Amino acid sequence: MKIVGVAACTVGIAHTYIAQEKLEGAAKKAGHEISMETQGTIGTENELSAEQIAEADIVILATDVKLNNRERFDGKRIIEVATDIAVKSPNKLVKKAEEVLAQKQ
Amino acid sequence: MNKLKELNLKGHLLTAISYLIPIVCGAGFLIAIGMGFGGESQEELVQGQFSLWDALATMGGTALGLLPVVIAAGISYSIAEKPGIAPGFVIGLTANVIGAGFIGGILGGFLSGYLALAVLKYLKVPKWAKGLMPTLIVPFVTSIIGGLIMVYIIGAPVAALTSLLTNFLENLGSSSLLVFGGVIGILSGVDYGGPINKTVFAFVLTLQAEGINGPITALQLVNTATPVGFGLAYFLAKLFRKNIYTPVEVETLKSAVPMGFVNIVEGVIPIVMNDIIRAVVATAIGGAAGGAVSMSLGADATVPFGGVLMLPTMSNPWAGVAGLLVNIIVTALVLALIKKHKSEEQILGTEDKGEEDEEDIELDDIKVT
Repeated sequence: MKIVGVAACTVGIAHTYIAQEKLEGAAKKAGHEISMETQGTIGTENELSAEQIAEADIVILATDVKLNNRERFDGKRIIEVATDIAVKSPNKLVKKAEEVLAQKQ
Repeated sequence: MNKLKELNLKGHLLTAISYLIPIVCGAGFLIAIGMGFGGESQEELVQGQFSLWDALATMGGTALGLLPVVIAAGISYSIAEKPGIAPGFVIGLTANVIGAGFIGGILGGFLSGYLALAVLKYLKVPKWAKGLMPTLIVPFVTSIIGGLIMVYIIGAPVAALTSLLTNFLENLGSSSLLVFGGVIGILSGVDYGGPINKTVFAFVLTLQAEGINGPITALQLVNTATPVGFGLAYFLAKLFRKNIYTPVEVETLKSAVPMGFVNIVEGVIPIVMNDIIRAVVATAIGGAAGGAVSMSLGADATVPFGGVLMLPTMSNPWAGVAGLLVNIIVTALVLALIKKHKSEEQILGTEDKGEEDEEDIELDDIKVT
């Protein structure tokens, strides 16, 4: 499946990027395509394109704070968690995403 | 309970704190450097009557004085987006002048945000007035209602509550100080700059606004000491003929330790994540010891940020040094003792935890839409 997501933590210098890295690793290991945007203190990096979002099967938001441009994901299947869940249990989170998607179909 | 969760109060507060941190850091450095060189934060800079150091301290001091306003505007923005910013500023400033301080700013932010949302939702205007909605009606109506609530209803009790709390803390005996410092140390250490740390930070920052400097000093000294302790642990472990870090972790430490000296604890997170329980245990024990020493000896930095730069602003810098040293040594010693020796294979092979070893995700923690 195709996953897009955003990571954003309170301070925006550490958890954001670890969550991104862990989720990308876990998703690739499970054989999915993933693209994670980061919204740190430095600003938005690796910004998702409208195309990527349109093509995605599911959206994973790992965030402790208010996201910028969240309306981009309106109408998509969204899983939202705190960043530390993505950091501690990325593989389980990806699995959860698979389950959520399976339920839908 | 579910309704309360939907409001996401904590998320709004954390969003505001994420805007607050760079201001605290930047302004904290300004005032720390200014005061370190003998400057003083002044009400007004009169031409010809101040030094460069006075200027720096004043820049920092003025910015720090605006924190209730920043937190109010941040919370209000998080709730109501752009229309929340203007009334958030007005109500936050109102909290400042009425003496409701940081707690007033937090309450004012929620008040402002939800009022702005309500005005947007329920106040119907004729078509010709649509353009006036964001520029005049939302900011005016929200500010006048919220501001008056702040002045006549919230302000006085919050100011009273704040001074009650202040009095209570000022009169703590030495054993209570020891416990209080220890608790702050544990809470600030255990999640390395995460949400618990920042919530405690918001609380102790409130206290500093009331002139109680001990708690925030304890918190920031723990944040400073933790990464340095992780660094020292490397050498202590060598004494026991143990290798407790992988080469990647040692590289991480090379930037994490200098960052630690200037109060940024987040650098050690990658190392913590590889061995979370032992790292947290060491941090918590060290933090409790350091916090307790710092508070009971009366380390009282007048700035809320800066790591070792906070020391010169203390009336008794040695108290701060003692707190730091105790914290660094205890954390390092515990780490060196409890972390497992890394064998050659472990050092070479990249350890990747499988799904089985991960913590279970509680259904409560996930929101699916």
